[in-house]
Order: sequence, then C-alpha cells, then structure tokens
Amino acid sequence: MQRLLYCIVFIFTLTTYANDKVDSYIGFPTAEVVNDYTTRIPFKLIDHLIVVEAELFDKKGNFIIDTGSETLILNSVHFKKSSNEKITHGVNADIHSSVKHVNTFLLKNFELRHTKSDVIDLSHIEKTKKMNLLGVIGHSVLKDFEIFIDLYLNQITLTRVDKLGNRLDDNVYLEEITDSINFKLKKHTIVLNTEVNGVMLKMGLDSAAEYNQLNKKVSSKVLKNFFPSRKLKLSGASGKTVEVMAGKLFRVKLSDNVYFGPMQTVLANLKRMNEAFGTRLDGVLGYEFFKQKRTIINYKKRQLYFVKTPMPRQ
Amino acid sequence: MQHIVILFVALFSFNVAVAQITEHKGYQIIGDYVVFIFNKSDYEFFSNDEFHDRLETSEVYVKSVAVAGEFNGWSRDAWQMKKAEDGTYTYERLLSDFSEEFDWEFKFVINGNYWAEPSYDDPNIVDAKDEYGKYLHVYNLKLYSSYASKDGNARFRLKGYTDAKTVILSGTFNRWDESIYKMNKVDDGWELTLQLKPDIYEYKFIVDGEWIEDPDNPAKKKNEYHGYNSLINIKVPITFTLLDYKSAKEVILAGDFNDWSEQEFRMRRTDSGWAYTTFLSGGKHHYKFIVDGSWITDPDNPVREYDGKGNINSVYMVRN
Repeated sequence: MQRLLYCIVFIFTLTTYANDKVDSYIGFPTAEVVNDYTTRIPFKLIDHLIVVEAELFDKKGNFIIDTGSETLILNSVHFKKSSNEKITHGVNADIHSSVKHVNTFLLKNFELRHTKSDVIDLSHIEKTKKMNLLGVIGHSVLKDFEIFIDLYLNQITLTRVDKLGNRLDDNVYLEEITDSINFKLKKHTIVLNTEVNGVMLKMGLDSAAEYNQLNKKVSSKVLKNFFPSRKLKLSGASGKTVEVMAGKLFRVKLSDNVYFGPMQTVLANLKRMNEAFGTRLDGVLGYEFFKQKRTIINYKKRQLYFVKTPMPRQ
Repeated sequence: MQHIVILFVALFSFNVAVAQITEHKGYQIIGDYVVFIFNKSDYEFFSNDEFHDRLETSEVYVKSVAVAGEFNGWSRDAWQMKKAEDGTYTYERLLSDFSEEFDWEFKFVINGNYWAEPSYDDPNIVDAKDEYGKYLHVYNLKLYSSYASKDGNARFRLKGYTDAKTVILSGTFNRWDESIYKMNKVDDGWELTLQLKPDIYEYKFIVDGEWIEDPDNPAKKKNEYHGYNSLINIKVPITFTLLDYKSAKEVILAGDFNDWSEQEFRMRRTDSGWAYTTFLSGGKHHYKFIVDGSWITDPDNPVREYDGKGNINSVYMVRN
C-alpha cells in the first residue's frame, strides 16, 4: 500500500505539455445536483483511497480524488495515448507518458476549459487494489471549486467560487463550521503549518495518502510525540522488504483550537517525496486527517474549514 | 451506529435448501469481531524467506505466534496471539478496525521468523507475490469482510447448470475474486449464502470459467466490458425517533427511501415521542417528519442538507 502511495505521488512530478486537444466531458452519474453551482458526489473508500464513479470519453469507471496530484491523470490502460509521447522520470523506471488536453470539462452545468491531463499507465494500482481505475482527479480540476471532503457522509461537495474564492451560491452547507485555518499553496500542494511538541512542521495535505507520513529526520522533540508500535515490512511474506517505522503521532496542532487525536503515521524518508510535491515538507497528512476532520478546502482563499462531526445517535 | 442487525431483503425468490458452508482457514467472524485462529496441526510446513529453508511443523517448537498481513503492514510482531490451554492461538480485532470494503492477505508468523504455509486445499488461499508481482510459489491466506454462512443475509442461487463442474460467485463484496466463493450444488442448481454488510453489491457467476449474470435477477448494472453485472441490495433495520410532540395526532416519516410518501410510514407513539422502523440500504438518506400536516426536519439531528429544489432535509447515514 505504501508502494501505491509512492506510485501515485511520483506520477505527480510529471510536467505537462499541451500537445493534443480532445473535446469531451467528465460526468458523475451518481452525483446529486444541488443547484447551478453545487454538486455532491458520493464516494467509496477502497482501503484508504477516496474513489468516485465518473464518465469520460464514453467510459465509465473509478477516479481517485487526489489533492496531491497536480493534474487530471488518465489511465493509459483505458485511454489511448496521444501521438506525442515523452518520457518522464518516475521512481523506479522511466514512465512513458503523454498528455491529452481535455478541452471542455463539464460537471453538469459546470464547465472547465483547457484542463490538462496526463495519460499514464496506472495498471499497477488497478492490480494492487483490485479495482477498475480510469484516472486520478487532481488539483487542476479541483482548484476552481470549494471542495468539502466528508468522510462522515462519504461524499465530496464541489461548489463554484469566484476569483476571490467566494461561493457563488449561499445555500451550500447547513452544518456548523467549527474552525478554519490558513494554508500555503506551494505549486499544487496544500502546505499546513502544524505544531508538534512545540516544533513547527510543514505538512502537505494529500487526500490520496493512505497513511500519514513524517520525515524521519525531523527534530527529536517531535519524535517524542511519536510512539512507534511496529516496524512495517512493506512487502511482508513476499521477497524484498522496505522497513519503515509505524506508530501513532500524538498532539498534532493546527492552531490553538484545532488539534488532532493520535494519528496513524509512518516514519519515512521524504526526500523523493519532496521532489514529487515540489516543495520541502516535514510530512504528509492524508486519510487519517480527513477521517478525523470533515474538511472544506478553498484553494482561492487558501483556507480550510472544519465541519462538526455529529455524535453517534442512539 | 445503531441497530446493525443485518437482515436479508430478497430481490428475487428462491427455494430453501441447505448449503454446505466452507470455513475459512485462519479466522472466524464472530459478532463484531474477527478472531484469528492458529492451530499448529492445521499446517504441514513452516518456511523462512531469509534462509529459504522449509521445516516440517513437527520440527519446530512454537514459542510465539503473530498475525501478519496487509492490515498491519506485515508486521511480524505487532499482533501477538494468545495461547489457550488446548494449544490454540487466538487474536481478536474489532471488525470496525478494518476499512469498509476489504479483502486482506495474511499469514501467521511463528517465533518471529517462520511463516506457517497454507496448503493448496485450504479454501481461502491466494498466490503470494512479491512487490513486483513475481510469484513466490507459496500461498497467503485471505480474510474477507463478507463470508459464507448458512445464517447469512444474502442467498445467491443459480438454477440449472447441473452439468457444470464448478460455479463461483464473484462480486464487489470480494473484489471480484475468482476462486473463493465456490457455490454448492443443490438438486436443481447451485447455491451459496453470504453474510454481507448493508450496501448495494454487484456480482456475477462464473460457470466453468464463463462469466454470466444472474438470470433470475432483473436488477443489473452496465459494466465496463459492455455487459451487465447483477445487483443485490442489502438493507438493515433503522429506527427513526422523534422526541416529544406528544400532543400531535399523527406523525409521518417521509424520505427518499419511500419516495417522500405522505401516508405510508405512520410513526407509532412511544413513551418519549414517536418511532418508526424501516429497512435501509447502506449510504445516505434524506428524510423529514410530517407532524399533523407540517413538515419538519429532525430536531435532534444536526446533519442536514439542501435538496435540488432548495428544501432542507435531515440526513441519516447508514454506515457499513
């Protein structure tokens, strides 16, 4: 699974060049259209990945919602590569990739022009996760919306915002927003200033990171809040193994009001990961973050909002 | 969540027959728990992948046993099992500790360095592969959130095909595994009963290698191979309650689950107010109460959403 994460993350290092224009649209057959500007798309969790059903180029299948991805990525298993191929450097091998320009991107009444998309072989994710995967929906698609990633109702709400990030529709959310915090956007990566045991850490927020990760070279003060529970041998009963330390990271604070319960986290070497995210990070927050906080992301305002998680009903 | 007593809602009719149940090796799901079970006598060999040696189990004195698998990153020591007086090792985890849809590969680790090797005859084996997909020529065991049980809530039945050698049931409940759910031959066809969590699942039968839809089930969905998968909807009983409103003459429960009927679900009076129990599939449901003709949202439920027309509804989430 860790490997999957690396695979996804390193795909995002690819830079894109416009070389092929295709008129098409992406549709979400299971979405609820709330109004002209807002739609809710139910998702399924496949292990810790957020997966929605979508239609593109007359194909219907799964897309991973991934704030860590720079672009829309299409799986070359299902989508033909365009004529201009280029080679980009991946983690273990060179990846042949090409680029499609999805000229029109429609979410019912929503339209996005000139959405870039990479066409890459994602068959390894299909095999590892035993799932059909048409592609990955990343920052280039998500940035024009406010996105509510809700692991309580298992749905993504997308609502249109103006250039300043103001919602075009007032009637989007009815639940209480308890807190908000600012973030920085480094290239496509959401970077949060967090505090652990008095030490400030720069953490990336990645909805497709199945496990939180912490750079093993962080200060020893931070590691005092990390309680290792086990060594993860990532390939286990099979051949080669990469050993990382897994455990729980305690008392991660985003602000005086916003803090987290213990989060499952692995200690990893983030050097290559930093190359992928295009910025230096002390760690990555993923599934565990969204599991604990129902989170609204507003890229234009550079803000996260947190929605109250209801108590279980009796 | 409440009332997770799972009940089968039949989408298609079938005759009653007694199915043979295949126990999965290495674990049982009992109530809300997965219980991992290791008996030395169930295994013939232990192997060590560092030294590439293979020992008969009788040659090894078992001091400790751990469960290692995809769910714990194949840790050889994190999930240590407890030894019972009869020599059986067990380890319990809450079902809810595992993600919603899963099938996990796992194995038992003996004394921290030997793998208990499943045999070809075990029902829930898969080929073990390394991280590059290369076969390791041994097996892993597999744990499923769904499982065959004669008391299960979903009975699958295929009429006819009595000359077939094997019929496999495969679907989204086991990520389209092509071997684990072998159906049992009955007088006029094939049958298997599973215990499934509330959700809508897609499935097919594999008759001697050929994939077919369920011919007796009209509910189906187009798949990516330009064919169809059959659908089964597993529901659970959910009780909606409205506190107080004791002076009301009539309270109706209306929601997307009954097409917003203003008559159908009349709530009954209780000591604390009003209640109605209905069966719902996994996922999100919009609802409202109609108190003596006036529509209200659920005052005790903070989760509310707009519908597509600007109305406000209460939201109930049936988690699986």
